[in-house]
Amino acid sequence: MTPGAEAGLAGPRVAEPGLGAVADDLAGAALALARRYHVPGTTMWCASPAWPYHAHHVAVEFVHPVIVGKRALAALAVPPGADLVATLRASVRPGDIACVLAPADDPVVGEAMRRSRAWGVETVWIGFGPRPDPGVADHVLWLPTDDEVAASEQFVRIYHMLWELTHVCFEHPGLLEPEPECDDPDGTGVCITCSDEGRLAEVVTVEGDEARVRTPAGLETVDVSLVEVAPGDLVVVHAGFVIGEGERTVSAAARGPAGGGAA
Amino acid sequence: MTGETTNFLYPFIEGSETDAGSLLDDLARSARGKWSQSAQLRTATLEAHEPALARAAELMAERFAAGGRLFTFGNGGSATDAEGVAQLYTRPPAAGMPLAARSLVEDQAVITALANDVGFDNVFSRQLIAHGQRGDIAMGFSTSGNSENLLAAFAQARRQGLLTVGLSGYRGGRMAEPDSAVELCFVVGSDSVHRIQEAQAAVTHALWREVQARLASPGAGADRAERPGPEIAADPPPGGGEEEPAA
Repeated sequence: MTPGAEAGLAGPRVAEPGLGAVADDLAGAALALARRYHVPGTTMWCASPAWPYHAHHVAVEFVHPVIVGKRALAALAVPPGADLVATLRASVRPGDIACVLAPADDPVVGEAMRRSRAWGVETVWIGFGPRPDPGVADHVLWLPTDDEVAASEQFVRIYHMLWELTHVCFEHPGLLEPEPECDDPDGTGVCITCSDEGRLAEVVTVEGDEARVRTPAGLETVDVSLVEVAPGDLVVVHAGFVIGEGERTVSAAARGPAGGGAA
Repeated sequence: MTGETTNFLYPFIEGSETDAGSLLDDLARSARGKWSQSAQLRTATLEAHEPALARAAELMAERFAAGGRLFTFGNGGSATDAEGVAQLYTRPPAAGMPLAARSLVEDQAVITALANDVGFDNVFSRQLIAHGQRGDIAMGFSTSGNSENLLAAFAQARRQGLLTVGLSGYRGGRMAEPDSAVELCFVVGSDSVHRIQEAQAAVTHALWREVQARLASPGAGADRAERPGPEIAADPPPGGGEEEPAA
């Protein structure tokens, strides 16, 4: 055996760290996926510009389960050469899921994750190395390695388990109903809590002081006299007015109940 | 759920669960257990195959050094593994040497044309007839070891003088039988498709690292520079393709 052989084979056999706290993130993501899939018509959009084969693997895992009798779930891989943001913008429906595998510094993926909030899409970001900014994605599954090849092996484990655990959640239907976020106690049709919040929206068209914006609830007309906006901008809408630029300022409640817009 | 008249008989049926905390704890515990099972299987698989990995790497490095190319194939999740290996060889992480590799699952026009015209069992073998040359490498991924289109591809590859490398699971299936066309078969001894694919990824990565190490050594580098690859031959012979009865 050549000296290189020993080094080459020993490398991958260094003891691996355990899953640790990533297990809790994974559990949360699995329950979220099950809640979204509990609403008929939900699709998961899988993307990985750097490692497109992983996106394909996630999609085939959900569509064609390895265990006979498990539900086939709608999942699609975004083609590797496609404009990710444009493809998702055109394709996703409120209540859908986006699952991406990408390094934290992938600007296109970061953009897609932020806009998913305005589109009503729940996001799962799987990666390794430096973490993305807090709050960019709903679920961040970040692996305990700095080596790209080791990470690739761990990605396979993570999405296999994401699939397995999602199906475990289906055995607990009582936990899949959306949590009541707006109980409208007075029966007035206006929830004080919801009406008082800033919601993330994506500007579609602008005409004078009015703009059509996209939110998880659909298209709305809002007043833009306070803030200058252009089509494509992410903005915060409050009480019918655009009040600022939207980045990570949005509250969790703005995402709406799981699958809320699919009806 | 409310409204069912038998609910009073089963006050704790899962349909009436409202606290997700215990489920989340169970899921996380299950994930940690599976992760460590997978890590153990990975270590056991690499140790069991160490001599064969060294041998495969030696043969593959010789072929790459002489201008040989790698063709990868598989079905479903294994197709994505084949894509991943082709990308690892052609576009390795920093410091890796790019090597000629191609996944035979990537071209939808070719796959659908072959599946439609000659049947799915031949989608890989017919591509090898077109592309494969003596000195190339064929690497196929299966969890059962019994996929017809892989067996056909390996048989075709051997007829054309390609080195055949297989990844299989369970007890190896037909890919691991004594009369198999797979010269180097790495079997992951597990009954779980998921755990098999996870350990197969580790095997292919160990193999890639080892091929890289061998090609980076001075002797292999000189070999590579001296001998242009066979892929530049202007008029390649049809190879063993004529022996294959059209299906």
